Amino acid sequence: MIAAAAWVCLLAPLVGVLAIALSGNRLSRRAAGYLATSSTAVAFAAAIVAFALTLSHAAGNRRTTTTAFSWIETHALNVKLDLFVDPLSLVMMLVVSGVGTLIVAYSIGYMDGEDEERRYFAYIAFFVFSMLLLVEAANFLVLLVGWGLVGLSSYLLIGFWQDRPSAIAAAKKAFVMNAIGDAAMVLAIFLLIQHAGTLDFVPVFANAGLLGMNTWVVNIIAASLLVGAVAKSAQIPLHTWLPDAMEGPTPVSALIHAATMVTAGVYLIVRTHPLFEQAPHVQQTVAGIGAVTLLATGAIALVQTDIKRVIAYSTMSQIGYMFLAAGIGAYGAAMFHLVTHAFFKALLFLAAGVVIHALGGEQDMRKMGGLRKRMPRTFIAMLIGAGALAGLPPLAGFFSKDAIVALAFSGGVYDKMLFAAALVGVLLTALYSFRMLFLVFSGEESKETHKQLAKHRGGEGPGWMMWPVAVLALLALVGGWLQIPGAWHLFSDFLGRGGSLAVTREWLLSAVSVAVALGGVWITWTIYSARTQKAPRAPKALVEKLYFDRAYDLLFYRPAVLLAHRLASLFEQQVIERSVEEVGTGALRGGRVAAAIQNGLARSYVLLVAAGASLVLLLFLIFR
Amino acid sequence: MLTTSLIALPLAGALAVFLLPASKEWVGSLALAVALAELGLWITGFFGKRQFDFGSAKIQFEQKHAWISDLGISYHVGLFGFSLWLVGLTVVVMTAAIAYGLWAGRERANAYYALMLFLTGAVVCVFTAQDLILFYVAYEAMMIPLYVLIGVWGGARRLQATFKFVAYTMAGSLLMFATIVVYGISHGFDLTSAQQSGSVWLFLGFAAAFTVKAPLFPLHGWLADAYRESPPEVAAVLSGVVSKVAIFGFLRIALTQFPGPTHDLRTLFLTLSAVGLVYGSLLAFRAPDVRGIVAYSSLAQMSLIGLGVFSQNELSLSGSVLQMVNHGLISTALFLLAGVIEMRTHTGALARLGGMARGRPILASLIVSIGVISLAVPGSNAFAGEFMILAGAFQRGWGWAIPGLVAMVLAAMYMLRLISAVLHRELGESVTKKAPDVRPAELCVIGALLAAMLALSVWPAAISKRSFACLDQTQTTSASSSTPAQFGLACVPSPSSTEQTR
Repeated sequence: MIAAAAWVCLLAPLVGVLAIALSGNRLSRRAAGYLATSSTAVAFAAAIVAFALTLSHAAGNRRTTTTAFSWIETHALNVKLDLFVDPLSLVMMLVVSGVGTLIVAYSIGYMDGEDEERRYFAYIAFFVFSMLLLVEAANFLVLLVGWGLVGLSSYLLIGFWQDRPSAIAAAKKAFVMNAIGDAAMVLAIFLLIQHAGTLDFVPVFANAGLLGMNTWVVNIIAASLLVGAVAKSAQIPLHTWLPDAMEGPTPVSALIHAATMVTAGVYLIVRTHPLFEQAPHVQQTVAGIGAVTLLATGAIALVQTDIKRVIAYSTMSQIGYMFLAAGIGAYGAAMFHLVTHAFFKALLFLAAGVVIHALGGEQDMRKMGGLRKRMPRTFIAMLIGAGALAGLPPLAGFFSKDAIVALAFSGGVYDKMLFAAALVGVLLTALYSFRMLFLVFSGEESKETHKQLAKHRGGEGPGWMMWPVAVLALLALVGGWLQIPGAWHLFSDFLGRGGSLAVTREWLLSAVSVAVALGGVWITWTIYSARTQKAPRAPKALVEKLYFDRAYDLLFYRPAVLLAHRLASLFEQQVIERSVEEVGTGALRGGRVAAAIQNGLARSYVLLVAAGASLVLLLFLIFR
Repeated sequence: MLTTSLIALPLAGALAVFLLPASKEWVGSLALAVALAELGLWITGFFGKRQFDFGSAKIQFEQKHAWISDLGISYHVGLFGFSLWLVGLTVVVMTAAIAYGLWAGRERANAYYALMLFLTGAVVCVFTAQDLILFYVAYEAMMIPLYVLIGVWGGARRLQATFKFVAYTMAGSLLMFATIVVYGISHGFDLTSAQQSGSVWLFLGFAAAFTVKAPLFPLHGWLADAYRESPPEVAAVLSGVVSKVAIFGFLRIALTQFPGPTHDLRTLFLTLSAVGLVYGSLLAFRAPDVRGIVAYSSLAQMSLIGLGVFSQNELSLSGSVLQMVNHGLISTALFLLAGVIEMRTHTGALARLGGMARGRPILASLIVSIGVISLAVPGSNAFAGEFMILAGAFQRGWGWAIPGLVAMVLAAMYMLRLISAVLHRELGESVTKKAPDVRPAELCVIGALLAAMLALSVWPAAISKRSFACLDQTQTTSASSSTPAQFGLACVPSPSSTEQTR
């Protein structure tokens, strides 16, 4: 039963893709949207069924593996297409299909009237399928397949507006960066084949200790997996594709580049944590990368002027928290933040989408302002989202983020540094999220805004856009209550990963971080809403995004292009091609004779064939 | 006898097509019917009482008749698991190429289709020949139609391309012929009973011919011109099928008959393959036209397959056969797509193309899906093949897999460049608004190839498990794990023990 539900959950969106792709123009644009939404809704329903059935099993007995057939098979290696349903994958299935359904439904309103709407819905349903394959995989290779296919759908959707050179460039960049991650994961898989003899999760993790005997091997495996996770989750240093990915339609940013796909790296680390635990240095690196990323990207978010890019940088920063948590072994906390983040980040993107939609595509926050009166419901949604992001009680982010901050406090010097980073991150989060909120909604409407609003009927978006926002706002409001320190831990109980602290200390640390966040909110209020203080000038390094793009261009892209050109012009043309050209010119003279033979008459070709054959025969006789 | 019928049917068809006094449409249709009948004939090998037994390492559908009995030369044909797949690839690609030629309306139809069918028969004969002389005759018989097809129906610089091609392949062929004679007289011409040889020179004689034909780095000088100047369907056959003949030669002759030299020179060939893989990928990345990208990516792919063959373990060899079929389908589809683009824009230069996606959804879908399959996106058949080859190469020595991983990233770079340059951004100067979308006839051909790729993506094990039969440890006597009379690989329970048993 669970197995059947898992397959329905996986395949329903794929059926949707095929239906949209094969019916072509016979399907109306709106119908494509309905079809995509209902296929993901079916997936969500199946995920709920699987969840309920799994819940009815005893806590120690909540794993189901189901096999379809052998995908890659030789006599030595047999990798099956099989699915694995356990609490961890169930959490991801529910988030992916649930949030996915909401966002696909929102797209019906957002993409209305867009050229090639059908293509959009086919792509986004394909994404949901790929992501479900990723989280339901029961072995490393199927996981990698899902991993690659989400990258492909991300590429297709970032580049959805095909005539925009910036969108196409961003799509390519995202794909290539992810291909680097894929290659690293392939390396990890090769090592697993050689040293574990299997790719199935259950035996590999059960024998992780044995694998750990070979320190080098397990370290390289963990490090390669980490490279894959860093690329997919846009952590430093493989993060530069994510801000550019905002060239895609806003619902895509919400679903792929905030709520689900970019958190796959966190899922990977949590899923494979038995391997990471055998490689403690790599695991500490995970936490370190998380800390560095959450600080750097949080700081860059402060100076962004594009509303979507602020949210994009905040996504990297929040995933940095999840990496930090996974790196210190707080897997439950990492996953909980992943879930609540999916709620409030999707909410923020969709609310921003409502604003962008109403302003006719304007994304520059400096040209916004004063939208609170015209769009009160969007304002409330954004307020909830920003509050949850900043970790204010009783919103979702408060419970999930503060748990990470509190857990980081325990431990040695390295952990104390992580704690400090996490706390500074709290301040940064409050600063950039409320800066965005105040810039967009408070103050006076500018003339341009006024004109745009008048042109676009003014006010909020259509119903198809507003109800998903409302549902997500509700989730961002109450989603954190699954996990209340001292009262209950429903989420980590289900996940089977406790690791909670003494209650008083957790509340105490929470109080500190809430105080920091409120301080941040107050600062932004004075600058951007009350406007009693002038905004500080943005440091150049931050505006330049800490020079990562430029450095990569100089260090990798240009040398590669130069190498390719030099190889082509100096070696291929001069050595390889020229060497025969000499022969060629000589033959060309003889070719005049040959050209006479090629008089276009079919007879002569047969003659040629016959001559060739008799030549062979002649040689035959000679050698006989 | 299935094998002989598979050889004879297209040859007879070639004669009939050549003699048919009818318009080019009718001649082409007859040729297509023959090709489809050949495809049907191949499919019957899987069904019925005498279906192919993949569990057996012995040669099947075998037929032998004395030819020049004094020298022990015979007409001896038969199929092993992997050769059955290569024959299948041949008939599929040739059918697609003939169908495309019919759609493109090639002039001098009688000669054109006769040559295409003759080529089909010759290639099938190469893949099934068990006698070295028969192999050589078929190998030459395969080259002659190609020379004519490029030289007569090719593009503006076709003569230059033909001469380069002839110069390279003739040199290789002559070397091979001399080698065959010397080898055959001392060891016997029949491959199923010939003695294995330890001679490095004889090995190199074969290897040089196959290296030219594949081509592998650095003997690929003919590749770019030939692939650019041929008609698209001939380029498709050249890279899709004819290149596989070389790898087949390595597998069937070089590795099997020369286990010692193969072992001694393995590092050399692995290095050439690894270099060619990265080199081809880099050149594909800067190639200025559609066919240039496909041509150099072909060089990279053949090098990848070479890496698999010379890694010489079960994983890499099975992966190589799978990847031969994959690459055959993919490069055929890509060259035909290049033809589709050129038919509409009269150019393949990337700088003059662009913006073709808008209003041409089928063209866009085909280019994007075949493009991402060819860059081996995880889950595709090409990924499965590449994964197996590199996993096998990794077991041979971790360093051999690293160029493959680099090439994976480079493949993403050059294929995405191709896709974007043709489909995206604003309209290119050679692209008119009126240029039509893919026509139903073109869709039938390329769509069928895509369907085959997708089917293999869902189930690559169909080929990977059915290429080499399993030999018991007791049956394996030589280092190359095959005795001449049968073709199979030593079965070992898990890859971790592979290293120790070898």
